[in-house]
Amino acid sequence: MSRIMVIDDEKIVGDMSRMSLEQEGYEVETFLNAEPALARLKEEQFDIVITDYKMKGMDGMEVLRTIKTMYPEIKVIMITAFANLDTAIEALRGDVHDFFPKPVKIKELKASIKRALQKE
Amino acid sequence: MKSLVRKIKSVFGLKEASVAEALPFDLLFAHFREVLDSKNRAMEVIADMSDKLGGGYLFDITYVHNAYSELSAAMQDSLQLFEKLTRSRYAQLGDIFARIDRQIRLLVEGISPVGGDQVISYADITWDMARSVGGKSSGLAELKNYAKTNIPDGFAITTKAFDDFMEHNHLGGLIQAAADNSTSPGALSGIRDAIMKGEMPPTLSAAIDSALLKLRTRSARAGDQVFLAVRSSAEEEDNEYSFAGQFETVLNVPLTRKTVEEAYREVVASLYTPKAAAYQKSAGYDIGNAKMAVACLVMVDAMASGVAYSSDPSADGDTLIINATWGLGTSIVEGQTDADLYRIKKHPEFSVITKKIGNKSSMVTANAGGGTITVSVPDELVEQSSLADNQVHDVAEQAMLIEQYFRKPVDIEWAIDKEGAVVILQARPLRVIRNSDVRVTPPHSIVSGLKRLDQLLRNPGTVAQKGVVAGRVFILRRADELDSFPKGAILVARNDSSEFIRALPYASAIITDIGTPTSHMSSVCREFRVPTLVNTGDATKIFRQGQEITVVIEDDEDPQIYDGIIRELLQGGGTSGSMDDIFEFRRKRYILRYISPLNLIDPLMDNFRPDGCRTMHDILRFIHEKSVVELVDKARYDNDMVKRHAAIKLDLPVPIGIVVIDIGGGLTRDGNSDSVSIEQITSVPLLEIVRGITYPGVWRSEVTSLRVSDFLSSMMRMPDITSDSGDHVVYNIAVASKEYVNLSLRLGYHFNMIDCYCSENAKNNHIYFRFVGGATDMTKRSRRVQLLSDILLELGFNVNTKGDLIIGRLANLPQRDMEITLNQLGRLIGYTRQLDAQLLDDTKIEKYVRNFLEGNYEG
Repeated sequence: MSRIMVIDDEKIVGDMSRMSLEQEGYEVETFLNAEPALARLKEEQFDIVITDYKMKGMDGMEVLRTIKTMYPEIKVIMITAFANLDTAIEALRGDVHDFFPKPVKIKELKASIKRALQKE
Repeated sequence: MKSLVRKIKSVFGLKEASVAEALPFDLLFAHFREVLDSKNRAMEVIADMSDKLGGGYLFDITYVHNAYSELSAAMQDSLQLFEKLTRSRYAQLGDIFARIDRQIRLLVEGISPVGGDQVISYADITWDMARSVGGKSSGLAELKNYAKTNIPDGFAITTKAFDDFMEHNHLGGLIQAAADNSTSPGALSGIRDAIMKGEMPPTLSAAIDSALLKLRTRSARAGDQVFLAVRSSAEEEDNEYSFAGQFETVLNVPLTRKTVEEAYREVVASLYTPKAAAYQKSAGYDIGNAKMAVACLVMVDAMASGVAYSSDPSADGDTLIINATWGLGTSIVEGQTDADLYRIKKHPEFSVITKKIGNKSSMVTANAGGGTITVSVPDELVEQSSLADNQVHDVAEQAMLIEQYFRKPVDIEWAIDKEGAVVILQARPLRVIRNSDVRVTPPHSIVSGLKRLDQLLRNPGTVAQKGVVAGRVFILRRADELDSFPKGAILVARNDSSEFIRALPYASAIITDIGTPTSHMSSVCREFRVPTLVNTGDATKIFRQGQEITVVIEDDEDPQIYDGIIRELLQGGGTSGSMDDIFEFRRKRYILRYISPLNLIDPLMDNFRPDGCRTMHDILRFIHEKSVVELVDKARYDNDMVKRHAAIKLDLPVPIGIVVIDIGGGLTRDGNSDSVSIEQITSVPLLEIVRGITYPGVWRSEVTSLRVSDFLSSMMRMPDITSDSGDHVVYNIAVASKEYVNLSLRLGYHFNMIDCYCSENAKNNHIYFRFVGGATDMTKRSRRVQLLSDILLELGFNVNTKGDLIIGRLANLPQRDMEITLNQLGRLIGYTRQLDAQLLDDTKIEKYVRNFLEGNYEG
């Protein structure tokens, strides 16, 4: 069973992600900020991390860079309410698997997750 | 005579004073178009919000903020333009907007209403106080103040009082600690103790005292000795979540401050029982934020009481059920008695399907000094029906009325008082599991052998609401067939209509030939989550009446419809309803309550006023309807316009005598010629109407034999009109632009008006058809009204009639369908011109309707 981590400083995003992804049979853990999430990666293996771009404390780009350095096999999906071309390019340069502006269509997110897992 | 003239004018809606002071027509028309544009922008934001907050998207507060800012700006634009158009005639609408806006902003910002009263009498509770008085009180007050239902006298103690009580006793820290400590039983019991020992804030005591004094005075007048039922009314109680049986109710409380305060503490403390805390947790509530308002209702000295479900959740929706017992209903809600059970057919006249009389050996009744006692039921009553036949009928009728009022199935608690009248003690939405909650992606192995009906449709259709359901097709040919809409069926109709809201609680899905996803109906379907597919082109022709189909609308791009009921598609998969279990989701979605539902349905209903508006959608509906009326009135009665604009005569092969006032793009003229031919009409709607009028065989030119009595009756009714043919020309005027026409006709002795906007944007389009008068006696004129009504219904209009006045409305059709309809209206004008004189008996109506629809105009 694939494991997915969701990091977003708004509880509703984590809750809704969990609800919809667990229905697909994924194991989901949610975090409201990046530090405890990265600490958890040390303990447990995850296949995919979905992270918000703009968060208090460590932001999404930093999360992406850290993961790509320490756990290059994990696919990262970035979501943001402040989507523009620059943020998208910045994320793509950081080797993000996918990039979604909020609100994120759950169906598209699920499809993206499937693609990420197939590549493995 | 003058007063008669005024009376006649008022029948036609003529406002003598307003015409003189109003705007010139072309300016008014420009404002009208601006209003439509801004209204459409707002409707689009509403559609987007309903979609994004519907469970299919991950969204955050930034989205909610931005979307609502956009909506609010579009609403303010609409209001400003509407004010200009109507010259501030509906100034109150701005205040209503401000009230709704305040409620939404509080929710968007996630703040509880602050301030306000600690105690509010039921008579003073308005629709926007739901969060202050809690779900139960707000529902009851709504029934009392708006639906005029019989509920007990009483008052609400608000969440403001709760906040004050907690603050006064410094309980915030204790509650927060309990919330952080996973609501341990020990911590909870500490909170309950502290509440029971808590001191009432002096202002709250004074407010309760004052409310009790008022109750005492009112009841002394009625000669009653009064006790109270003190019940919970938590913020979301009786709304999204029922909280049934979670909190305390204290019955038969003597009317003293001390006893009422004691009961108040008990009810507030019940927010923190382990059972209530567990329930709240599972519903996603944070116990640290929960607030308890309290309902104080005068006890009904009940002969019998019970519960009614306006729709039996286990049946087809056409059955309602009543449970009843002697005395107070406590034993029923707590499941402690063998109560009487009546299953009742909703139509017609609430006939009893089955009656099971329980063995009611004991009953709960009010104790003389306060509280309740359980006593034995006298032997002769134990197995006697606790409700007389007429009372069964009355309770059923109340349940139906309340269901109709809330437009959803309800669960009510009721009592029969000493006078035998039904009193409603509680009403809340009945949670009925709908198939539409099921979501699946159909596996190929299941669908490969099935017959795809959607591929036979002209268009793939536009998704207004997703879902998976199965049911029988009900093809709606005429709006009045909604009354016989079978429960659980799939409504298939030519165009969409806000009238369908009546059928929404029972419809499994809706499919229309034409329509838009931002229409009133679509937006309400999303609110009710009824799977809806619009704009399929020809569903009414492809599906058969009664055919069983399965509708799978899982995807915006690929809605699928299968022949037969495919159970495999309905099973499995998760439920979208489960998103509703997320508190934050529910809280954000809650703002839609003030945005998308439509309460203003029928312009002829009493509530079609600014103060009837409860939501942004209502305001937009009001603005649209009244903008059309503004245009209609102005175009119809602005004689001044004839003087200012050149009126061009229309050369037609029939003697109808129409002059056209071109307000922009309505005609092409040769030089200064004072007449034009059909070919020179460039107004899309006018051209189609004229084509219809002049269609071969439609204009009936034979002399109609008016009887002497017919002629006399026409003289009696319209002296100022029949006496002076010089006015005639004023009554055959078309005010036209490229996309608009207002055609006012006086033909013989009746008046006919068509106001139409017909453009490429279906959302802007409307037809307003008005017909009144006639030369013959009332019976024959009524027959013509019947004939017109039948034909208009067949053409898809919503029709209202009053005496010999008939008004038909149609909106949101695509241009091509508008043109076809207008052409038919043109034919109808010619066809019915003098038909009333020939409608000698009722059987003729059907014949002429049939002839018209078959295109046989000369028969």
